[in-house]
Amino acid sequence: MFKNMKLRIFILLIITGVFTSCENYLDVNTDPNNPTAVPVKGLMSVASIRTASNTASMGYHTSYFVQYLAGPNAGGNTDTHQEINANTTWVNIYNVLSNLSDMELMAEEQGAPNYVGAAKIMKAINLALLVDAWNSVPYSDAFFVQTLKPTYDDGQQLYTEIFTLLTDGIANLQQTTTTLIMGEDDFVFGGNLSQWIKVGHALRARYLNHLSKTSSYDPNAVLAAIANGLESNADDAKVTYTNEVRNPWGAVAINQAGLVLDGWISQQIVEAMDGTTFGVVDPRMEFMFSRTQHGTFRGTRNGAGRDPDVVDLRLDASTLVEGTFYADRTSPVLVMTFAEQKFIEAEAHLALDNKFAAYTAYLAGIRAHMDMLAVSAAERDAYINNPAVSVGEEDITLDLIMKEKYVALYLSPETWNDARRYDFNYADMTIPDQLNPDLNGQFSRRLQYPSSEFTTNSDNVPRVNLLDRIWWDQN
Amino acid sequence: MGARIVVRGLTSLNPNADNQPLFIIDGIPIDNSVNDNASNQRGMSNRAADINPNDIETISILKGAAATGLYGVRAANGAVVITTKSGASGSGLTINAGTSFSAEEINKLPEFQRNYGRGWYGIDDGGVYSASGALIEAQSVVDPSYIFYDNYKNFYRTGGMRDHFFNMSGGKDAFTFYTSVNHTKQEGIIPFSHWGRTSARLRGTAKFSEKFDVEGSVNYSNSGGNRVPHTTMGERLMYWSHTQDIREYENPDGTQIAGILSANPLYNAKYMTYVDDVDRTISNLSFNYKPIDWLRFTYRFGHDFYVDKREEISPGPLGIAGENRSGLSALGFMEQRRFINRVINSNFFATFDKEITPDLRATVRAGHELFETDLNYSYNFGEEFVTPGFYSFSNVTRHVITENTYRRRLIGAYGDASLDYKGFLFLNLTARNDWTSTLPKGNNSFFYPSASMSFVFNEVLNLPNALDYGKLRAAYGQVGKDTDPYRTAATYTTATGFPLNGQVGYVRSASRGSNELVPEMTTTLEFGTELQFFKNRLGIDFTWYKANSKDQILSVPVSNTTGYSQVWINAGEIENKGIELILNGTPVKTNNFRWDATVNFTRNRNMVVDIADGVSDITLLQQNGYVNSHVTMRIAKGRPYGDLYGTSYQRYYEGGQPEGLIYLDKDRPKVIANSGGFAGFPLMNTTNQMVLGNGMPNWLAGIRNTFTYKGVSLSVLIDTRWKIDQFDQYGVWLAAFLKPDYTNDRNDVVIFDGVTPDGQPNDQQVWLGQGLGPDGRDYAAGYYRNIHRVMSENFVYDASYIKLRNATLAYNLPTRWITPLNLKGLSVSASVNNVILWTPWRNFDPESYSTGAGSNATALTGMGYPGARSMFFSLNLTL
Repeated sequence: MFKNMKLRIFILLIITGVFTSCENYLDVNTDPNNPTAVPVKGLMSVASIRTASNTASMGYHTSYFVQYLAGPNAGGNTDTHQEINANTTWVNIYNVLSNLSDMELMAEEQGAPNYVGAAKIMKAINLALLVDAWNSVPYSDAFFVQTLKPTYDDGQQLYTEIFTLLTDGIANLQQTTTTLIMGEDDFVFGGNLSQWIKVGHALRARYLNHLSKTSSYDPNAVLAAIANGLESNADDAKVTYTNEVRNPWGAVAINQAGLVLDGWISQQIVEAMDGTTFGVVDPRMEFMFSRTQHGTFRGTRNGAGRDPDVVDLRLDASTLVEGTFYADRTSPVLVMTFAEQKFIEAEAHLALDNKFAAYTAYLAGIRAHMDMLAVSAAERDAYINNPAVSVGEEDITLDLIMKEKYVALYLSPETWNDARRYDFNYADMTIPDQLNPDLNGQFSRRLQYPSSEFTTNSDNVPRVNLLDRIWWDQN
Repeated sequence: MGARIVVRGLTSLNPNADNQPLFIIDGIPIDNSVNDNASNQRGMSNRAADINPNDIETISILKGAAATGLYGVRAANGAVVITTKSGASGSGLTINAGTSFSAEEINKLPEFQRNYGRGWYGIDDGGVYSASGALIEAQSVVDPSYIFYDNYKNFYRTGGMRDHFFNMSGGKDAFTFYTSVNHTKQEGIIPFSHWGRTSARLRGTAKFSEKFDVEGSVNYSNSGGNRVPHTTMGERLMYWSHTQDIREYENPDGTQIAGILSANPLYNAKYMTYVDDVDRTISNLSFNYKPIDWLRFTYRFGHDFYVDKREEISPGPLGIAGENRSGLSALGFMEQRRFINRVINSNFFATFDKEITPDLRATVRAGHELFETDLNYSYNFGEEFVTPGFYSFSNVTRHVITENTYRRRLIGAYGDASLDYKGFLFLNLTARNDWTSTLPKGNNSFFYPSASMSFVFNEVLNLPNALDYGKLRAAYGQVGKDTDPYRTAATYTTATGFPLNGQVGYVRSASRGSNELVPEMTTTLEFGTELQFFKNRLGIDFTWYKANSKDQILSVPVSNTTGYSQVWINAGEIENKGIELILNGTPVKTNNFRWDATVNFTRNRNMVVDIADGVSDITLLQQNGYVNSHVTMRIAKGRPYGDLYGTSYQRYYEGGQPEGLIYLDKDRPKVIANSGGFAGFPLMNTTNQMVLGNGMPNWLAGIRNTFTYKGVSLSVLIDTRWKIDQFDQYGVWLAAFLKPDYTNDRNDVVIFDGVTPDGQPNDQQVWLGQGLGPDGRDYAAGYYRNIHRVMSENFVYDASYIKLRNATLAYNLPTRWITPLNLKGLSVSASVNNVILWTPWRNFDPESYSTGAGSNATALTGMGYPGARSMFFSLNLTL
């Protein structure tokens, strides 16, 4: 009986235990791994780095189009202007724009106009990357899941939005009170708001300059923006990477060193710098790509693949390599530089026929870039003083400005914008071998929309081909 | 190694949803997850592989909501109910031991051309392309090393398995026990792959009195092995040159003998290791208390705990001068993953079983279930080994750690009542309510009932003599389903590399949760009959069913411009309708000889009834082809699940392609360009992607014939899967490298069938080769690369099969022979699996696909996962 008594108590305990439902027992669905609210600074840190990474990501495609880089194998897709799927670049840019949109709203709510301003400036940079590659892209329907299939906004209207973002962003940055001091979470300027304001103006100059083929091009407006822009290399908008978050070009160089062939230098830029094309040896090559084991610089012809006598795939051709200015894992990615601004200035002055100012800015641009790379003063001056470079103010031409800007903006996607405005008139630049037969012997003028848009937003994605030009590149 | 089981079609639209049934062992659900990596598939096992098959006494499969309702949400896809062996009281000691061996090899390879080797534009340029080079016959005269190697055949190997088990059972007075040990070891057909399992089990019962008994079991297993990534291997084999011997893969100093810029797959398989090591304990305990004759209380407690440790190593440079690291990890890395998983199940129920009147018997049950699962997942990544060959996180220059925990809880209350009227009319009612932690408050309680009825009509009706037994069944039921944890909110996640320089860093999570999710509900209606004729020599079991799953919880891939890549929603309704027919027959039956035949036929049709407001179609999954010729699996309202969309040749329609056309009509003439770079070649349809096929089969059937003569039996199973389309992604890549046999025509001059854009018959001669043609025209990369490989239409096609799944010859030795040996039983058997295969599919066995057991995207076959045929021998003895 005693045994049965114990059993009964035991069963009673089970019944009460089982049916006594704990109020909070099911209250365990708050994600312990991922927060629903984050600090503004936590968004700033990533967005500021990734704005630079997006620039490099776009540059990874455009550097083949403008022949900074060339494929090591014949007939490479990007190298021969096939319809590449730039999905990763697209997704990364939209992710940053979405996070910046959150950051902007949160900063507004928290009374931090400095962060609102920085968000707007970075949004402008990312949006311009999109429009310059794809023209029409989703924007007004985008970022907040208002619809699962956002419509596409017209590229020209988006340029208006870019300028609005810059104007408003600068205004926000100029406000003097904030609840949140920006600091090391800003990987571009470390919280220096006056530098953000300057780069806002410099970017305005850049995007106004993009309009050179259109009727709304206004060189005076460009110069007015530059007047408030960057004042020296110290104002360069750039992000310096770390071993933990590696420079994207450094990652390319690491792959190449491990024989995952990547980052091979085009014959075009090597010959533009080694004296072949212009008769002047440029001291900056050392800072930009590797020497072969024979101590020379050797480029690869676009579309043709490496030459048969390139046997050692690390040491027989020039490639991106760690230890150089651009392609170390801890190298900076340059978003907007003083040198670029100088060349924009030179172009605007030339358009106004201010030859002296154009020439001065041109030389200052070269010097700024040389100083940024830390080329020795002697080598720098020797190059600049070479008569092929110091041609005198009377002989300054757009060709010279574009030639030097091409070198100074090495790996930047901005060069593709220049190339299209300039119709690829760089000296000795020809279409790659084995060019995509669809292009009828011409350079492609845009990117195809990424595959993800065709699968998830096919109702809205415009049907285009690679010869369809974006709005500022007409005729 | 992963085996995928789906009961009655897919109930979930989500391609990544677990549509596999719930595994229940001795009344306790166990974990059957797969946990493979989406990006680097290793064919990981379902966790049901931890069970020793020799311990299983019976397996039954429950289908339909009426049958599974009581098991709750996790049985929404059906249930596999396993009862394990136990000892019998008073039977003395029984010992059973057995051993089996097998050998297996690849059962089907793609057909390759053997005439052209490494090169590009028809010459051996020493370059990267594996089979677009010179004619081997001609070039080998100049270069004797330029010969064809059958690298696929040389890469895969003969694998095999050996399995040993031993069990002992018995019982005395009030106690019974069963105990077993098992060891199994497999070598895969992919070199360097292996897997093994060691398990031990103890089960016992104690009957203290007529009123009270206790039962318990504990099962321990250790399993794991080296998982060579089949997808990576498939891809590397494709890049590997036709004219380089794959078997020479390693130098004496340990460095790689690579291809031109491609990794040697064998070197890869040897040194890029991925080893899993799983320790698991499944235990359960149950009490039965029967205070009075017609009332019983049962309490069951189950605990399923495993630690799955995985370590992947990809060596970096060895630091040897001149080492060729083509295709290998540039810096080297290692990854460690830990899954610590715990499932706790508590189940209490009371059973009333009483004869109410002599004609009516009632069994009523009411119970309460509680379920909790906890998963702790940690991931360590280290890169760049400072000292080559020392694989430790202390030896890397970059180290990333992440850790995630998941918890899910569920409470259920259930009841069922069975009424048995005179043994010919049966009624069964069930009801269950679940409260789950994973749905938003207010939506997290859901109720679902079922009712089923059966009528054994031969008991009451006068029937022809030939009919021995007849039963009609009808059932209606619902079963609800919740979702996984943490899908109810939009969250942020730590960005890779953060915290960085003392700063935190967040980005939006790629998937956006929703606080409006409601439970999924599947409603099943079914009718069936069971008939036995001619003294039970012929039996028919027929079922018709219809199942509608509503409010599917699914993560929809959306345009990244929305700010997310996936959004969780309740989407629409999918309907599965079908029939299941089982015919059993015994055509011959004499004293010594017997022939039994079983035919199993199932046909399932599904239809997407509705998606979501304002959403006409959703892309579930995409697999890439070249140059944007990806194939997608989309669902669209009013169309069946599994439609495959892709690029196709442009077809001629007078006045242009009709608006809204989505089904490809292959009978219409292709449009052939008459100007430009592609003059003379068929054009691509650039208007839209077309439906190229559907990835669900028309029907499935199996026929088993068993012949028994005295102690000898022969059983033969033939399986058929009819009319199913799959995307042969591997075929696209092979074509791009000009490896398939059909590319032997690469130097032909042809006129493509079709019409020019103005509708005139095409008469333009073109050359299929690369570079300068015989007509002096520059054909660039040639037909196969420029045209053929970018048309998905060429790679979505029928993957039906008929296969000899299994034939087994077994012999139970006669008692008079073994009794002198003091044996109670001795049997030997030999069997073959998958030895005959017929299929129009050009690639590996169409039943194998690279996404593994965890995915529903079986129509997207990926980069090659070979199937195998095998041969088994086993010996089983009982003392």
